[in-house]
Amino acid sequence: MIFTTHTTKSGFLLPSIHSAPPFFTEQPNPATQAIATDHWIRLILGYARHRKLFFLKVEDAETSSNDWDEVLKNERINRKVLPSHLSYVLEAMVKKNVAVYEPSKQTRTVMLYWRTPEEWAETLHNWASSTGQLTTILTYYDITDPPVESELTGIPVPLLKKAIAILAKAGKAQVIGISEGEGVRFFAGN
Amino acid sequence: MGANSSIPKITAQDRAILDLKLQRDKLKQYQKKIQGVLDREHAIAKAHLEAGQKERATIALRRRKYQRSLLVKTDSQLENLEQLVSTIEFSLVEVSVLHGLKQGNEVLREIHKELSIENVEKLLDETHEAQQYQREVSEMLSNTLTLDEEDAVQEELREMQEEVLRQREVLRLPDAPIERPVSAVEGEQVPASHQSKIPIPAA
Repeated sequence: MIFTTHTTKSGFLLPSIHSAPPFFTEQPNPATQAIATDHWIRLILGYARHRKLFFLKVEDAETSSNDWDEVLKNERINRKVLPSHLSYVLEAMVKKNVAVYEPSKQTRTVMLYWRTPEEWAETLHNWASSTGQLTTILTYYDITDPPVESELTGIPVPLLKKAIAILAKAGKAQVIGISEGEGVRFFAGN
Repeated sequence: MGANSSIPKITAQDRAILDLKLQRDKLKQYQKKIQGVLDREHAIAKAHLEAGQKERATIALRRRKYQRSLLVKTDSQLENLEQLVSTIEFSLVEVSVLHGLKQGNEVLREIHKELSIENVEKLLDETHEAQQYQREVSEMLSNTLTLDEEDAVQEELREMQEEVLRQREVLRLPDAPIERPVSAVEGEQVPASHQSKIPIPAA
């Protein structure tokens, strides 16, 4: 059997392992399973970066026609990831710190770190300074939904808060809280 | 920590601005919601029309019209809010410009204090005095020579002049003889003239 790469409709290049039927089922051999899981993690993060997806749910393996169809299913070989397998992969991702359960205290949904919070913090600060918004008070909505689309468009607020907390620790941001909600102000820092 | 000192305190002004911006966000989100409702009502009306229920389609369209009027209203409100936010932010910029001007002015005044006309005059006077003083000093120095020393200087000068004159004389060629030589033997005269060759110093 020949495994080939495949370009999806959204322009993502699936690796050849994605056309291998065993890739879609849990492997009894722990060593094989570990390698397969590593491949899954790389594939999921790569796809998330490509489509700018921030969340992956076990539910995505249970339903069809969602954002993850292209990765979690392979109709050419009639295979799909079972929810239990996906749940296992998510757990491995959380252990490797490339994802976190969001909200915490559940294991059905993860927030993906295809950029670490530290990298997001840098992106955020670069955006604020390049758009001349240092020392301006911004709401989270200003950042997640700016009039001019940016790298940060659509970033989930929990992740945004993590990035801001990192900047605040370095003295490059300040969180302002009022009863109506929260805002943030960025500084040039040193 | 040093890094924290650069962070300004959150003022009531900051809170007010944030409040305003949050209200603006709410309005924006509300508009998004209405837009969704508009699309839905449109779809409902279409479905009803396809099913032949003209009246229900009209109701849906009426509802849609009403929502649309809401959207227009919020549009103008949003415009007001955004204008207010812009005005406030611009005023803040003006305040900081004013602050900068004030500081610049202060610095300039500080500098001018150092540079008062009195000071300048005084300084110029002092410079003048210093020059005068310097001149006096050099005069005094030249006058400190004793008479003997002055004589020695004059003597040296004269010697130098003589030397110069002597050198000039050495360079002077003898005049050509005017009288006819009174010698019998011409042959002996020739070597004599050879001996009396005048050495010319090499430049």
